[in-house]
Amino acid sequence: MNTLIFLRDAFAGRKLATAGFLWLCLIVVAAIIAPLVAPFDPLEIDPVGRLTEPGWPNLFGTDHFGRDTFSRAIYGARMTVIIGVGSVLVALFCGGLIGMISAYFTRLGHFLMRAVDVLMAFPALLMALVLITLLERSVVNTVLVIGIVYATTTARILFGMTLKLKGETFIDAAVCSGAGNSSILFRHILPNLLSPLLVQASFIFAFAQLQAAALDFLGLGLPPEVPSWGNMLSEERIYITRAPWLLIYPGMLIVVSVFSMNLVGDALRDSIDPRFKDDIAGV
Amino acid sequence: MLAYTVKRLFTLIPTLLAASILVFLFVHLIPGDPAAILLGDTATPEEIAQLSAEMGFDRPLWIQYFLWLGNVLQGDLGISIFFREPVLAVIGSGAETSILLASMTMFWIILIGLPIGVLSATKHGTWVDQITSSGAMLAASMPTFWLGLYLIMIFSVTLGWFPSSGFPSLSDDGGITNLRYLILPSLTLAAPNAALIVRLVRASMLDVAREDHVRTARAKGLHPARVTIKHVFRNALIAVAAAFGFTFAALISEAVVTETVFSLPGIGRLVVQSILRRDYPVIQGVILVIVVLYMIINLLVDLAYARLDPRVSLK
Repeated sequence: MNTLIFLRDAFAGRKLATAGFLWLCLIVVAAIIAPLVAPFDPLEIDPVGRLTEPGWPNLFGTDHFGRDTFSRAIYGARMTVIIGVGSVLVALFCGGLIGMISAYFTRLGHFLMRAVDVLMAFPALLMALVLITLLERSVVNTVLVIGIVYATTTARILFGMTLKLKGETFIDAAVCSGAGNSSILFRHILPNLLSPLLVQASFIFAFAQLQAAALDFLGLGLPPEVPSWGNMLSEERIYITRAPWLLIYPGMLIVVSVFSMNLVGDALRDSIDPRFKDDIAGV
Repeated sequence: MLAYTVKRLFTLIPTLLAASILVFLFVHLIPGDPAAILLGDTATPEEIAQLSAEMGFDRPLWIQYFLWLGNVLQGDLGISIFFREPVLAVIGSGAETSILLASMTMFWIILIGLPIGVLSATKHGTWVDQITSSGAMLAASMPTFWLGLYLIMIFSVTLGWFPSSGFPSLSDDGGITNLRYLILPSLTLAAPNAALIVRLVRASMLDVAREDHVRTARAKGLHPARVTIKHVFRNALIAVAAAFGFTFAALISEAVVTETVFSLPGIGRLVVQSILRRDYPVIQGVILVIVVLYMIINLLVDLAYARLDPRVSLK
């Protein structure tokens, strides 16, 4: 319930952020009902109808295999949601757990946070590339790699926040009333971290899209046959002068979605508990 | 300050060692015989056996690590499978492009990001602020390769102002004018980073503007522009200066995508090509070099930061 009130307050009076939020809802809906709304099969090849201009019945035109760009864009929303939600879950679960445990159990935490420091010595994209080298190209691996990269920053942030909460009087009260470690961590500390976690999630979602698109472009992300916006850009880039629509639509979809997510993140951050203001950097 | 420097150096060494262990383990995490992996598909069994003996692949892992570390400290990062040259020389050949690209990108970031950030902060809450802030966020939301492709299409293909790909060395024909090859790539790479600087300058200037000493300066009747420049901007610059340093360190690896779009012979493209060619010695070497550089630059930034703001070293 508190989270709902938090959401309502965050968007009050912010038209652009609200529009961003609605856009993201639209993406999620498109992802779910993609087979119902896509006019064509996104994988169907039509050698005769190659590189046709946007019009009817191919709203966004066709690519160099004659596949319908509009249908591919709709199915691309699926990948956007899968990559975004997947990376957020991996990052928040691994990073959150490490951060919280490190702050709570000081001795173990000292060791764990040093390990996080070492991983953070690897620049984000480089670490993603290293991990990708060891794994095969697949949707799951892309999600894992991006999630792990952002787990380190999440661990750092949650570490700081848990440390602050640990010093609060209500935790002392819980200890005095005989609450166990897991009860304190998950019933007293975690609920207080939900809104900052939500902010963190929105920024990770946005960055994950850009990282995934970059990996797709380098030929190291999703398998090439998967219709994702990044793959569409990557495959059709040589047709930029002959068929510019092939790059405009997927590109705009990425920009608008990442922009929306950043707006939502900003709105959430501005309405967050002032105690955590300094912890969330948004980068 | 000295105590702080020594303390920071001592925390750097274990982190460096731990990172080097990870880089060392990289080759061992790839399934297969490490000697065969390092030599590539064309290696004969004799060559594999020889390298195995040299690197001690039959001995315990920790001995292998120290043998490898010993080689690394002497500048021996192995031989590239693809180039048949020492890895260090291969990396060195990309250094000029990467360093020039990063420097030129920093130039744009400062030239574009700083004034817009100041403008956004001084016009806080007005439409100017809204446009610059949203514009910055939009720039940070763009895939860099997409921006790069459009810059190529507009400024190289249509207008013909700048070359679209490649970079001849400054020592080749053309000399300093060869820098024109780096204008579009550096602008591409600068866009998202300048956007972050805009947001950071704005945020830290607004922070400083709320402090007591700024109120005092205003109360004693100083000209508003003087307050903004001397009291707000100069103090806000401390945090921004640190961000510049971290950005520069990150640019070397962020350039991976940009260098690929513009076919620049830099370290970033070398990483991607080596991954695609399965040239593991080069991948391992580049990772090591970038991570060490990244850590050293970050250390220098931290020390500079502590010097600019003495409160940091007292914590």
